[in-house]
Amino acid sequence: MIMPAGKPLLLPANPRFIALTLVLALLLQMWVNLWGQRWMPDLMQAVLAFWLVYQPRRVGLILAFVLGLLMDVHEAALLGQNALAYVVMAFVAGLLHRRVLWFPLREQPLQVAPMFVLVAVIEWTARLWHSGMWPHWSQLLAPVLQTALWPLVAALLLTPQRRPYERDDIRPL
Amino acid sequence: MALETLDHSPPPFFRQGLPAALRFALLSLMAIGLMVADHRLQVVMPVRASIATLLTPLQWASLQPGRAWDALEQSVRDMQQAQDTVDEYQVRSIAQAQKLQQIEYLLQENRQLRELLALRPTVDRSAQAAQILYDTSDGYVQRLIIDKGHVAGIRSGAVVIDTSGLVGQVTRVHPLVSEVTRLTDREQSTPVMNARTGERFVAFGESASAGERLELRFVPASADMRQGDLLITSGLDGIYPPGLHVGQIVLVDRRVNSSFARVLAAPVSREQGRHLLVLQPLRDPLSQAAQSVQANLGRAP
Repeated sequence: MIMPAGKPLLLPANPRFIALTLVLALLLQMWVNLWGQRWMPDLMQAVLAFWLVYQPRRVGLILAFVLGLLMDVHEAALLGQNALAYVVMAFVAGLLHRRVLWFPLREQPLQVAPMFVLVAVIEWTARLWHSGMWPHWSQLLAPVLQTALWPLVAALLLTPQRRPYERDDIRPL
Repeated sequence: MALETLDHSPPPFFRQGLPAALRFALLSLMAIGLMVADHRLQVVMPVRASIATLLTPLQWASLQPGRAWDALEQSVRDMQQAQDTVDEYQVRSIAQAQKLQQIEYLLQENRQLRELLALRPTVDRSAQAAQILYDTSDGYVQRLIIDKGHVAGIRSGAVVIDTSGLVGQVTRVHPLVSEVTRLTDREQSTPVMNARTGERFVAFGESASAGERLELRFVPASADMRQGDLLITSGLDGIYPPGLHVGQIVLVDRRVNSSFARVLAAPVSREQGRHLLVLQPLRDPLSQAAQSVQANLGRAP
């Protein structure tokens, strides 16, 4: 496999870690939803997008669909609205992932921003069709914040893969 | 963790399953189908109920940090405030004692008068206390999730109140939780009566960015409406008991070019605290509608 120069070789991602972070993201998103702020970024989307881009063979369309359904029921929204948005995100992430991985972490947000905007537009459209309401202006912030969170989420979720393989008594981690 | 793969093994060559584009098309169609089914046909209730039941432990877990924080906050809150509240309530309960003593007498009298007039006796409904689990209001839907569901005997159509007035109506019942649609939801309408004049109207929810409001539609421009009038439930529909406080009129706008006045009201229930009371409907509105439809069908041929 050809890799960009200077990129660290990572340990394989642990599927259990992927599942754990997705469940935690779901919990965190439920918790964030309690505040009822419309501009809040969708953390579930941010974490899911990360895994879709970094582990396309483990996290794919079907998982995105199922997680979207869970969010729909939790939010008492139209059933399928988040599911559609997440599936579109998964597909776009599948198209993007080879390209995004060539950029360093700090330049990746610009590459994934269109994906988050597209997903937000799909959700707004579904709601416009369902309830005939235009989005509040503050909701425009959500995809921007999700994009801004990308490097943080990525750095955080990559940490376990950055551990050295050989156990060392002196190294702290 | 095993080193040998480093996750850089080649992708599967033969068993790739469906192509991604096809899978994407199938899943999107499924999602859109679900949306249409949910919006138009109302047939996805079992799916929703089972997912909701699956989600309940997760929801419970996500509520714990907030609950813990609340408990902490409450435990360090000033004792003086508690004392003040106790004092205030004592004063209030003394003031209400006289009214309470009269109520027995009035109830008795009311019963006798109703018998005299051969009116139907008012029925006491069964009521259940419930707790708000969380709020899904996001500008599009105005709904609350409460911690009682089908198992606890909650039925769709039940009326939900709090100490200050009407909160809304149970619209979806899952096994362990239920969804309460607030008065201010766009799809919710409530039969109301102006407490001052006795005129009856229908209040529709209107959650605009300006705040949560109720809109009274089809109010004749000549109707006697004033700012500050109290709206109560009329009780004509057989679902809402009469006399519950609904809202207070905040705006009456009469226009020359329209025969209707634009009337806005603010809901009175503040939903302070977590506890709500669910009043079971006198009869099941859905089954009754079904019966009347069947009766009509039976009559048709």
